[in-house]
Amino acid sequence: MTLQYGTDEWEQEYQAVVAEKSKSPPPYIYFTPEWVALFEKAIRMDEIYKEAAKDWEGSVVLHVEPDPERGLEFDLYVFMDLWHGECRSVRIVPESAGLAGDFIISGSLDRWTQVGKRELDAVKGMMQGKLKLKGDLPTIVRAVRAAQRLTDISAEVGGKFPPDLPSDEIPEFRHINNELAERFLGIKAATPAV
Amino acid sequence: MGEPETEAEMEQATTTGGNGEVDITLAPDVGDAGMAVMMAEMIRTNLKDKPDRVKDFNKLDGYVWITADDADTEMTMLFDGGSLKVYPGKVGYPMLQISTDSSTLLDLANIQIRFGLPYYFDEVGRMVLKKLLKGELKIKGMFAHNLALTHMTKVISVK
Repeated sequence: MTLQYGTDEWEQEYQAVVAEKSKSPPPYIYFTPEWVALFEKAIRMDEIYKEAAKDWEGSVVLHVEPDPERGLEFDLYVFMDLWHGECRSVRIVPESAGLAGDFIISGSLDRWTQVGKRELDAVKGMMQGKLKLKGDLPTIVRAVRAAQRLTDISAEVGGKFPPDLPSDEIPEFRHINNELAERFLGIKAATPAV
Repeated sequence: MGEPETEAEMEQATTTGGNGEVDITLAPDVGDAGMAVMMAEMIRTNLKDKPDRVKDFNKLDGYVWITADDADTEMTMLFDGGSLKVYPGKVGYPMLQISTDSSTLLDLANIQIRFGLPYYFDEVGRMVLKKLLKGELKIKGMFAHNLALTHMTKVISVK
């Protein structure tokens, strides 16, 4: 059953999934709910980000393009609700909510993996066209230090990168994603979750 | 309407007319050149937000070449007294040639404008000057085309 994003039920169920998955110790796979929860916690605790983002207003969305061969069969949107240095929440959200974000940074799983491994600086990636930014550019340029810090934090959280997963772990990653898609994102996965 | 695909659509997508907006076009071969697309979009939005700087835009006349060494990417802006065309790579004979890393380029866009002039005495301004002195930021033509540099700084400054 698909839950309706924005309802208390959606949030409670999402938190339940995070709590359940977080029973296993890290490292978690990037862009899974449990990894996103760690990312949220890290942003909230980061003093450098708080200072750099003290004037920031608006949401930032990390968009991961599908990569079916590696177990991601749909567009994934990590929505960060940010306000004046405070991180209100970070969630994996349905496409409609993701596309409604104030700023959307898009990239392939490989590009985000490069960012996570610090092989690609996010600003450099945008300059090279490897990451695409949608949103009011002057606003994000004014807050470039905060934006850079967010990507630094994502790297500091660490974890397992989907492109590095051994082939026998990809079906499990696909299963996790498809379960998430059907329950929380309103997506009927091409490969059934169960 | 989807993403522009043809040359005509690409031009249409960024050309503006009336409503006090400026005329900015992307060369058809810009394609996925992130920095060129970003710079064009940033100037367009910036001037819409700060229409008092359109007069600086209108005074610019000539080529400006910018390269982000660390990103191995370059672009040329051709200002033509009220219009701008953005090209990937190096085109023409630039009056200003700016060479630095991608992060410093965004610092340049964060220079404060005070009393109508770029202000170099705050944290960002001092950092830019320091990089200039250390050779981490190179601006060829900055003395010969000092006024053009001032106009361009105002056009790209989001502050």
